[in-house]
Amino acid sequence: MIRVHNLSFSVGAFSLHNVSLEVPSGGYFILLGPTGSGKTLFIECLCGLLRPTGGRIEVNGRDVTRLAPRLREIGYVPQQQALFPHLRVRDNIAFPLRARRLSPAEIAERTGPLIGLLGLEALLERWPIHLSGGERQKVALARALAARPKLLLLDEPVSALDESSRERLCAELRRIHGELQITTLHVSHNFEEALSIGDRAGVLHDGRLVQTGPMAELLRHPASEFVARFFRNENVFEAEATQRPDGWTDIAFHGHVVRAPGRHGGAVTFTIRPERLAVHPPGTDVANGVQAELRRVVDRGPYRQLEFHAGVAIVAYSTADARAFADSPGARYLIEFPADAIHFVPS
Amino acid sequence: MTQATHTTEASRGPIAGPRLNAVSVVTLGVVAVYLTMVIGLVLTDLCYTDAASFREVVKSRAILAAMRLSLFSSGASLCLIVLFAVPAGYALSRYQFPGHALVDAIVDLPIVLPPVVVGVSLLVFFNTAVGRWIEAHSLRFVYTVQGIILCQFVVSASYGIRAAAAAFDSVDRRLEHVALTLGCTPAQAFRRVALPMARNGIVAGAIMAWAHAFGLFGPLMVFAGSVRFKTEVMATTIYLELSIGRIEVALAVALVMLAMASVALVVIHALASGHRWWGR
Repeated sequence: MIRVHNLSFSVGAFSLHNVSLEVPSGGYFILLGPTGSGKTLFIECLCGLLRPTGGRIEVNGRDVTRLAPRLREIGYVPQQQALFPHLRVRDNIAFPLRARRLSPAEIAERTGPLIGLLGLEALLERWPIHLSGGERQKVALARALAARPKLLLLDEPVSALDESSRERLCAELRRIHGELQITTLHVSHNFEEALSIGDRAGVLHDGRLVQTGPMAELLRHPASEFVARFFRNENVFEAEATQRPDGWTDIAFHGHVVRAPGRHGGAVTFTIRPERLAVHPPGTDVANGVQAELRRVVDRGPYRQLEFHAGVAIVAYSTADARAFADSPGARYLIEFPADAIHFVPS
Repeated sequence: MTQATHTTEASRGPIAGPRLNAVSVVTLGVVAVYLTMVIGLVLTDLCYTDAASFREVVKSRAILAAMRLSLFSSGASLCLIVLFAVPAGYALSRYQFPGHALVDAIVDLPIVLPPVVVGVSLLVFFNTAVGRWIEAHSLRFVYTVQGIILCQFVVSASYGIRAAAAAFDSVDRRLEHVALTLGCTPAQAFRRVALPMARNGIVAGAIMAWAHAFGLFGPLMVFAGSVRFKTEVMATTIYLELSIGRIEVALAVALVMLAMASVALVVIHALASGHRWWGR
């Protein structure tokens, strides 16, 4: 288990501000954030390559904040170019064990199962330069795991890969984590990748951890507009809320009124995920309908992204065939805002 | 960030495409001109000298002694230079400190200075109180073999240090950082990652430094003299033979020196390429 308490670090004008987080033993935590949010600085503090200006880092209850990197029992897979180009795959994997002066027999005994687990048997005599991106990351993973760390740090492990290798490696990461049950902190800027692997995540923004929680929670109940937009939700609306006697709230925005459960009043910000909006022909009888004009249809492959205008831009996703909207830009639709999908963003 | 580790085989190999174009013709032409100059000079030397001179060179005990001393002294300076250049080059590459640019410039100074100035300066230094104390309490340098090695070291170490610094510059620091997280002490990270990766550059610099030391002549004449069987090296032999008008013998010695240097360079290259990590 890892516990980070109020970790701070400054470099130039950028700082990490009192970042606290906890990953239980065997957990898989994803740290999300856009480029420049401080993710890499954070994990370099964890593995000891940077010295934090304040805070505490505990691995399995042991304070490692001031320890040299090699004494922290933390395995680190950096973003890119992680492998030693002057060593064959076999020697890259054995590297941490040689550094600890293990005998060749012990090295074989420790690396054997890992090589099997990651399916690297055929690559052992290769040089890193002759590996594909995915193979390189797997070798770097095996090398980090060879030292049997208590915590595994993965910095953007799949972001340099093409789509299909990325999906395959994500599946591998899940499988390996399932087998070894090693506490893992995975850093990523891509929430889709995060959804496919992790169950809990945190969002880092300008050096601050702005929200942590289960993946579904971050997705549906963002704590801020930033988190909502990070999870690609463009539907963030400023509105005026009026409490109703029946315990519901009327939300007025840009000349529309929708109703949601809960007691809210005054100026509010609310979001609704594009995939929760339902698109109906005009005149359909639905609760919480908003009249809107279709401006643009973007085919995203598995779904269509529909961009509406209703005094404000509204984005909806539809799995209907693209032909359904083929000649409709300019056409009017009724967009249904399901009451249970409306989320008030805390101010 | 260095791209060296990402460079693919293809991008380092010959450029594909039509062989005959303006760039290839001009650049290969320049190579041809330079080769002609060097080979032409060597051939002229070969024609000017004669078999008798060569016989004299290999039979002269004094010249054979000079050969041995040349190899011994330049080999000893090579060892000293490598011992100095590797740590100094690493420090210059890895650490930023106030006055770094000035230190860089001072390290390069012996390359710029006429070598004979180094000899004169050493002679003057060993005439000061400090210099005399050193001579009285440790090794003697003036007019000794140690003096030859000292001259060669002072003049040639710059090449080694400069090359080692450039070699370490080309090693991505993050690889050393990764090594630290994988259980290495900083010393292990240096030995297991930085040093092997910088090896080719260091060897190239050492070759330059050795070649420079082997051919050094000016400062030796001033500081170590050119005493037969004692401080005479091949470079000084050439000068001595020239000064008494025996040009053929001087050229014969020069050609023997050339042959020895070629053999040494081939041997060093072979030793250095015994281990290649790019998987060729």
